[in-house]
Amino acid sequence: MENMLLVGLSRQMTLERQLDVVANNVANINTTGFKADRSLFEEYLRSPAHEDNFVHADRRVSFVHDRATFHDFAPGPSEQTKNPLDVAIDGNAFLVVQTAAGERYTRDGGLQINNQGQLVTASGDPVLGTSGPIVFQPTDKAINIAADGNITVLEGTGSTDAVRGKLRLVNFADAQKLVKEGGNLYSAGQGVAAQPDTTARVRQGFIEKSNVNSVHEMSRMIEITRTYTQISAMLQQQHDLHRTAVEKLADVPA
Amino acid sequence: MRALYSAATGMAAQELNVQVISNNIANMRTTGYKKQRAAFQDLIYDHVRRVGAQASDQGTILPVGVDIGGGVKTVGTPRLMSQGTLSPTGNDLDIAIRGEGFFKIQVPDGTYAYTRDGSFMMDAQGRVVTAQGNPVQPTITIPQNSSQITINAQGQVTVIVPGSTTPTQVGQIGLTRFINKAGLNPIGDNLFTDTPASGTPQDGVANTDGFGDMQQGNLEQANVEVVTEISDLIAAQRAYEMNAKVVSAADQMMQSTANMFR
Repeated sequence: MENMLLVGLSRQMTLERQLDVVANNVANINTTGFKADRSLFEEYLRSPAHEDNFVHADRRVSFVHDRATFHDFAPGPSEQTKNPLDVAIDGNAFLVVQTAAGERYTRDGGLQINNQGQLVTASGDPVLGTSGPIVFQPTDKAINIAADGNITVLEGTGSTDAVRGKLRLVNFADAQKLVKEGGNLYSAGQGVAAQPDTTARVRQGFIEKSNVNSVHEMSRMIEITRTYTQISAMLQQQHDLHRTAVEKLADVPA
Repeated sequence: MRALYSAATGMAAQELNVQVISNNIANMRTTGYKKQRAAFQDLIYDHVRRVGAQASDQGTILPVGVDIGGGVKTVGTPRLMSQGTLSPTGNDLDIAIRGEGFFKIQVPDGTYAYTRDGSFMMDAQGRVVTAQGNPVQPTITIPQNSSQITINAQGQVTVIVPGSTTPTQVGQIGLTRFINKAGLNPIGDNLFTDTPASGTPQDGVANTDGFGDMQQGNLEQANVEVVTEISDLIAAQRAYEMNAKVVSAADQMMQSTANMFR
């Protein structure tokens, strides 16, 4: 009989975590290149007491716990910004970013140029080309990023294209193994290798918006709060039942 | 409950987003204004169970982890330095830059500031100055009673002085560019100053070495597109509302916990 409380609590804890995930998705509804997370749950069976305490095994009770959050890598909508340094990626590829902690991967194509002329992310980390960081000269103009990631400019008064590098685009056999690091960056764990992506295309002058679907998130949120309240009510009833039982049993005439 | 705080970061971010958008709209008629955009990033994640961790003694590896995010942060408000449309004014001292470069202006403390606003005037000494009275660099003085001020694509200023029929050159307006013009620091009055992020100013001559050319009798309009701003504003407002709903959902859940077993 006591198990009900524990089962209910196991569900309430997962619901609370699920709301945390929804809240993070909603908070990032305007974050460039953000990918929503989903929660997965699983039932797990556990005996409330060890079988060696009893002659026969105790009946197993079903609890719930959150097994995983997985990243929804569905493409987000593209918004035209007309900024020559904005790129949106068509396909599953990621841009490669050089951070102090090593190579990181991002879908956030809101790029900038730093004071050394390097192509960097909004937080200032260099974006890598196929042969290292991409550096522009002070007199470069008309930066053009082609669909295959080739970056050309017009040099000074020249009218011929000068190549400044090619964006390095990578993908992963199993992108679910990427770990979100914050700052729109993903890191690859041990044994997860980035491989060059040849099919992805970049579009200059566009950014990829967050792929958070507000209708899904709101309905999920309502479902979470309703379920949570229902479980609270259920636990309340159980508690009342206990109390009534105790009161009734204690009410034995002497 | 983390959701409450994540949603709060979302509300704060959208509030800032609305501020940026409203400043763009407020400056939609400001000469040489360059619009801004708020850029957001996700905050760090709490890896409740890290992907790739050992799931059992047999060496099974977790194929996916449990990562709970902490919300959103604003990483910057980068400026879109695209060309604004030129509108003819017919005024001799109105100059628009078509292409790269900024006008160099001397501000009262003796330092330099940079602007794309080329609505110049003449002060009592005949100097070419901005609307605030700050002289354009290098200083150009228009002789008294001269007529027909002409500024060519390279910024050379020529006038017809009294008693003469041929134009006399009185100076040349220079341009300055930066490797990262988005890194300039706005100080108001349509002026920017250089920063470590913008790189050092590089002075040059218009219509050469990648600099833009000067268009006399024109002004550069703000590069704000009202339709984009209004749709962004609506999106920001809705996003704010949704974050507020998450706050109330978290509140409701905490309330139902608080009311248990009373």
